[in-house]
Amino acid sequence: MSEPEVYQHELDNGLTLVAERRPQVRAAAFSLMMRAGPVTAPEGQEGISKVLAEMCYRGAGGYDSRGLSEALDGLGLQRGGGAAGEMASFGGALLADNLGKALDLHADIVQRPALPESELEPVVALALQDLEALEDAPARKMFVHLRGAYYSNAYGRSALGKAEALQGLTTGALREDHARRYLPGGAILSVAGRFEWGWLKDAVEKAFGAWSGSGPDAPDPQYRTDPHYDHIDQETAQEHIGLTYASIPPTHPGRYAARMAIGVLSGGMSARLFTEIREKRALVYSVSASPSEVRGHGTIMCYAGTTPERSQETLDVLIHELRRLGEGVETSELERARVGLLSSLVMQGESTGARARAITSDFFYLGRVRSLREIREGVEGVTPKDIVDHLAEHPAENFTVTSLGPRRLKVPA
Amino acid sequence: MTFLSTHLDNGLTVIGEHTPESESMACGYFVKTGSRDETLEVLGVSHFLEHMMFKGTSRRSAEDVNREFDELGAQYNAFTSEESTVYFGRVLPEFQASLLDLLTDMMRPSLRVEDFDTEKNVILEEIARYDDMPAFDAQTLAREATFGSHPLGHRVLGTKQSITDMKRDDMQAYFARRYSPGNMVLAFSGAFDWDAALAQVTDATQAWERYDVTRDITPPKLATERRVVTNEKLARVHLIWLAAAPSTQDESRYAAHVASSVVGDDVGSRIYWELVDPGIVDDASLYYAEEDHAGVFGTYASCSPENVGEVVERMERLLDKAATDGAHDAEVSRAKQKIASGEVLSSETPMGRLVPLGMAWTYRGEYIGMDEAVDRVLGVTVDEVSEVMRGLSSRSHSLLALGPIDSIA
Repeated sequence: MSEPEVYQHELDNGLTLVAERRPQVRAAAFSLMMRAGPVTAPEGQEGISKVLAEMCYRGAGGYDSRGLSEALDGLGLQRGGGAAGEMASFGGALLADNLGKALDLHADIVQRPALPESELEPVVALALQDLEALEDAPARKMFVHLRGAYYSNAYGRSALGKAEALQGLTTGALREDHARRYLPGGAILSVAGRFEWGWLKDAVEKAFGAWSGSGPDAPDPQYRTDPHYDHIDQETAQEHIGLTYASIPPTHPGRYAARMAIGVLSGGMSARLFTEIREKRALVYSVSASPSEVRGHGTIMCYAGTTPERSQETLDVLIHELRRLGEGVETSELERARVGLLSSLVMQGESTGARARAITSDFFYLGRVRSLREIREGVEGVTPKDIVDHLAEHPAENFTVTSLGPRRLKVPA
Repeated sequence: MTFLSTHLDNGLTVIGEHTPESESMACGYFVKTGSRDETLEVLGVSHFLEHMMFKGTSRRSAEDVNREFDELGAQYNAFTSEESTVYFGRVLPEFQASLLDLLTDMMRPSLRVEDFDTEKNVILEEIARYDDMPAFDAQTLAREATFGSHPLGHRVLGTKQSITDMKRDDMQAYFARRYSPGNMVLAFSGAFDWDAALAQVTDATQAWERYDVTRDITPPKLATERRVVTNEKLARVHLIWLAAAPSTQDESRYAAHVASSVVGDDVGSRIYWELVDPGIVDDASLYYAEEDHAGVFGTYASCSPENVGEVVERMERLLDKAATDGAHDAEVSRAKQKIASGEVLSSETPMGRLVPLGMAWTYRGEYIGMDEAVDRVLGVTVDEVSEVMRGLSSRSHSLLALGPIDSIA
C-alpha cells in the first residue's frame, strides 16, 4: 500500500487547505466546506442553509445563473456538495487541467454571490417541492423524523427546512446569513488527485487569501439518553424502521474498536444483521447499521425495511443482535471485518472523489489527516477483547426508534 | 493498458483490460439473459435466480459463499436488467485466484429447495420496497404500457403473484436454457494476472456443457398513448415519457448520449432551465438507455398535482422544439465536455471499467478503451445530435402519470 503525498497549509484567514497528491491520475476532486449547515442556521429560518447554497449558484463572478452554470459545465465539472448537518460544501470532480479555473469560479460563488432577488422565488419554490417530495419517500421521511427525535437541539434539524420558514425568507435574510456564516475561519478546502503543490498553494492563496472573518461556532450536540419510540402512521408497502443510539465521538481512542464492531454487525453479507435477519429469516431486503458522527458525538444508525406482518419480528431480532454483540465476537468474524476495512482503504485510494471525502472528514472531525499507515495500524491492533470492552463501556441501549408504516410496534425492553 | 481476449473450447469468452498500475483487480460474469428472455409464467425468474446464485453449489453452502467473499475483503454484488445478469467482485490482486474460484463455482448453483423457499420472501420484500418508490414504480408501469406485448416491457422483479407461484424446477429449467458458457462473458479489469486466470478458468469450466441460446430480437413497436394511474396515497405526480432511441448496436448511440445530456441532464440542460430552475418541478431529467437491438429515451418529472397540466405542456413543447430545431454548437460542446470528464472519473477504478468492458463485448463484440470512448464522444457533430433529436417529438412518446390525479388537466 503506497503512501500518497499529503500537504496542508493554513491561510492567515483561517481557511485550511488539505491536499492529497496522486500524480498518476488524470482527475482532481475538491470540496470547500464552511461551517454553514443547518446546525448553525438562525432560529426560525430552517431551510435557509440549503436555499443559500442553491442561490450561490444563481449568479456570481459577473455571470448570471445560466452563464455560471454554462461555465461550470464547460469545465466538465461533476458537481457535488450541498448543505447538511454542520457544513455547507461546494465542489466536485473534473479533469485536473481545469482545476485552477474551477477554484477561481468557486471563489466567486462562495465569497461574492449575486443573490439576485429574481431567483429567490424559484429557489424557494424548489425547496418547498423537495419538502413535499419527502411524503413520497417514506424511508427518507422516517430518517428525518428519527434524527429530530434523537437530537434535542439544532443537530436534529432536517436540511429540507420547514415550509413556513422557507416561505418567509427574503434576499435580505440571505445576505445577512451569507455575511455571518460564509467565512473562511474554520473552513476546509480539500483537494485530491493530480496537481503540483506549489501551484495549488499559490492558486488558493490568490483566490481565497483576501477573504476574512469567522462564523458562529456550532453548539454542542444535545441528544436523548432515555429510550424513545415514535410511530408515523402511513399506508406504505413496507414498514420503515429506524433505530439509533449513542456511541463514541470521532476523536475517541476506541474508534477503531467501534468501527470493527460495526463491521462484525453489518460489514458484508456474512455479517450478523444480514445473516440473521435476511439470510436465515428472510424478513427484509435491506438491513444495515452504520456509524453516524458529528463533532463531539457519534451514534449508530440502523435501518430495516419490511412488510408490516413481519415488522415486529424484524425489530425484535435487530435489537437482540445489537445486544448479543456485547457478549463477544469470534476471531473469524473480527478477521473478516478487518480484511474488509483494510481492503476498502486500499481501493478507496483509486478514486479521487473518495479520497477527497476521506481527507475532508479526517480534517473536520480530527483536525488532521491520518496516514494510511496509521489507519492500518489502528485496524490491525484491535482484538476481540477490545470490542467486548468497548461495548461494555458503550452498550447498545436507550434506543431512539421510529417506525413509519401501517403498524405500530412494541420496542422490546 | 493492454486488451486481451480468448474463447475457451466450451464457448466461454474471456476478456481483460490490464492496467498494471492499479491497486486492485475486478472480474465478473456477464450473462446475456434478463427479463426479456422470460415467459410471463416465470416473470422475475432472472432476478430471483441472480439471488439464488449466491446460495451455494455442490462445494459450498450459502453461508460459505457470503463468508468467503468477506474473507477476501471483496467488494461484490450482482444485478439483473431487462437483458443482462452480471455477477462481479473486486479484490486486492493477491486474492484473484480465490475470487475467480468463488465466482466461477457460483455459476453452477445447487438451487436447493429450502433456500429457494426462504429467498422467495426476500424477493417479495424487494418488490414491496420498490412499491414505496413511486419514481421507480412509474418507470415500470410506463415500460409495461409502452412496450405492450414485447418482452422488453417485462418487469425485472416480476410480480407478487409470479414470484409466489414460481417453483424451484421452473428456475432450474430457465437456468438450463440460459446459462450456456456460449451465452456468457468473463471479464477482467485492473491489475490481474491473465495467464493464471486463463489456466484456472479453463480447468474450472471444462465440464460446462455448451448449447445454443437464442434471444428474440424483434424490434419493439412502442405505443404512444397517454395513461393515468391514480394513486391517492401519493403526494406528487410522477410523469414518465418514453420514446424509441438508437440501439446499443447503432453507431448513433454516441450522438444519442450527447443529445440526452443537452436536452435532459440533471443540471444545465434544456429541461433543467425550463422546469427545474424556475421551481416548477422538484426533479426532471431525460435519460438514454441503449438496449439490444432497441433503445429508449425516458423523460421523468415529478410535480405537485395542481401543476401537472403546465408541466406536461411545457415538457412536450420542449421536446417538439428539440425535434424540429435540433441542437446548437455551444450546448453540444458543453455536453461533450461533461460526458468526457464523467467517463474519465468513472474509469478511475477497475470496477468502473468492468461493466462498460463486459457490456461492449457482450452486445457488440468490441473493445473500446477509455481514451477511445472519450474520443468518440468528442467526435460527435452537431448535425449528428440534431438528427437523433428528431426522435424526441412529443408525438413519438408515450406518457404515464402516476399520482393523486384522475386525468392530465
